[in-house]
Amino acid sequence: MKKLVLQVTLLSLVLLMVGSLVFAQGQKAAADDEITIVVMPKLVGIPYFNASETGALQAGKDLGVNVIYTGPSTADAAQQVRMIEDLIAKGVDAIAVAPNDPAALTPVLRKAKQAGILVLDWDTPADQSVVDLSVHQIDDQEYGQHIWDLLVEEMGDTGDYAIVTGGLSAANLNGWIDAGLSYAKTKYPKLNLVTDRVPTDEKQQIAYQKTLDLLKAYPTLKGIVGVSTPAPLGAAQAVQEKGVADKVAVVGTALPTDSKPYLEDGSLRVATLWDPAKLGYLTVVLAKEMLEGKAPVDGQDVPNVGKITVWEDGKTVIMGPPTDFTKENAGQFNF
Amino acid sequence: MDKNTQQTVQNEKKGLRRLVDKLHLEKKELVLLWIFLGIFLLMSIISPGRFLSIYNLQSMAYQFPEFGILALAMMVIIVTGGINLSITYSATLSSIIGAVVLVAMNSAGVPELITVIVGVVVIVVTSIIAGAVNGLIVAHIGIVPMLATLGTMTLFEGISLNITKGGAISGFPTMFQWFGNSSILGIPVPLFIFVLVIIATYFILQRSSFGAKVYMIGCNPTATRFSGVNVKRTLFILYIYSGILTGLAGLIMASRYNSAKESYGYTYLLQSVSAAVLGGTDISGGFGKVFGTVVSVLILQVISSGLNIFGVNRFITDVIMGMILILVLTINFINNRMEEKALVTKKVVTA
Repeated sequence: MKKLVLQVTLLSLVLLMVGSLVFAQGQKAAADDEITIVVMPKLVGIPYFNASETGALQAGKDLGVNVIYTGPSTADAAQQVRMIEDLIAKGVDAIAVAPNDPAALTPVLRKAKQAGILVLDWDTPADQSVVDLSVHQIDDQEYGQHIWDLLVEEMGDTGDYAIVTGGLSAANLNGWIDAGLSYAKTKYPKLNLVTDRVPTDEKQQIAYQKTLDLLKAYPTLKGIVGVSTPAPLGAAQAVQEKGVADKVAVVGTALPTDSKPYLEDGSLRVATLWDPAKLGYLTVVLAKEMLEGKAPVDGQDVPNVGKITVWEDGKTVIMGPPTDFTKENAGQFNF
Repeated sequence: MDKNTQQTVQNEKKGLRRLVDKLHLEKKELVLLWIFLGIFLLMSIISPGRFLSIYNLQSMAYQFPEFGILALAMMVIIVTGGINLSITYSATLSSIIGAVVLVAMNSAGVPELITVIVGVVVIVVTSIIAGAVNGLIVAHIGIVPMLATLGTMTLFEGISLNITKGGAISGFPTMFQWFGNSSILGIPVPLFIFVLVIIATYFILQRSSFGAKVYMIGCNPTATRFSGVNVKRTLFILYIYSGILTGLAGLIMASRYNSAKESYGYTYLLQSVSAAVLGGTDISGGFGKVFGTVVSVLILQVISSGLNIFGVNRFITDVIMGMILILVLTINFINNRMEEKALVTKKVVTA
């Protein structure tokens, strides 16, 4: 009887492994002479990073390199560190990572470098002293200014407006808002910010409630800027419910598929964001070029991505201007 | 078969049995050991030269100690019929408070060695306090462990967030990296710490009168109290021990990631429950062995690294881990049933 149990155990294990082998066929390990580039998102399984996966894999196909797109299933820095350690053991050529926490990854990225692996960051900067190349989606300064330009386009350059943001401690969101505010001070002096930026915990529901409060407290409001992807949606929802969509212009940073219904009923005038698929594509292209000894050049025209900007330090790359999503074009995107 | 060979076969069998007895292995643990060896072999076969390379074995040995220590911290509490949901945040709170001290002393120009020693002491003391808070609430106030530690989990997270404001604390002296990133004779320091923890936990839980009391509490706390055991005191000390283990895990994590943040390793919480249960610990208390938990930690590590090296999607890794957990639980269940049946038939015969 004991033996039977053991046999059953081992048999099921073998079946399990065979199953996983079949699953893995699609991502079979490459031949040793082929270039292998790892692109690691903060986590897998959310629309934003699914879109960048398509881009990264497409680039792998186009360039004939083996791309592994893998990351933890939760946004835990500890899991990311473990996965990178495994990938170093696997022996890859380049690792591009979007760190959940920059500080936590510094030791393991240094280990990767010692093992002769090219280290890049994408989407979110890692410790700049350990990366060979840093791929940014956007220039924070320009992006902030662009959001305020859109606001003025929709509400005019005079009047009251408010800012609804994801969280007060998010460095990237604050960077965009600060850039936009200082830009508005000189360029659009007649704009009047009615209150401090309103935090919404990265949740649409809270953005919706806070916007209802704003509309009640400031009836003269003509515009709302939503920063962080759920914020403009919540604001649009509130504006639509109160029936003031033609009086209050909502603009902000949102994904096109999410914002499509609001764009269509006019409660959200325009959304702006970069294309995560392009970002994944660009990351792979640049990693491959670096492996071949070619550093990126300012103004270089990357096929399927466009002209990129390279900063003076030679390792910070900006993908380019954001894409605006309106009623007309929101249906064309898949992220 | 002549008599002599028969004799030696029997002797050999006896020798094996004796070894098994000596290690206090049960059928559950033997099944686990087989599974571990099977998976290890399979992984070595499907990615030769990569999984079974010195680099990867070393890299895995850096990875599992932090998780293994947390799994033991969870296991010792599950044995009493409780659960400790605060382990990961207790680990990160200790490392954050230690980090504040480390950074302050480092920037004040105190010699590195003193800074590191003080930092480690602060981490351990904080974890003792965190464990004592748990012990106080569970043992002395008498709140159900799940609710009590759910509360302290939120409390520790809140305190941590207040200190870090959501970011990570970094800027430790270089010497501090020794705990997580160095090796002695090719064996990683975290592994040494883990082995010490295993030995200590084994003796405390399975070789001491204190441990016997712990298992008794897990079986029946009321009967234990009436047999003259100070249940409150025993539980209180055990929660402190669990706390110390989280502090050690926090120390390794802070050193490995060269920073401290409240969310590091939060996924280890449920994984540590899985590891303990996979290792044969009875979730309703009264049974659980150090050996089983350690082997299941190794199993989870080998699956995770092996499939990762092989390039399997992370979600499928999760699916496979879930399937193995269910499989082992089913095997253990069937085994138990068969043993009970055998026992019943035996009784009938003797009667």
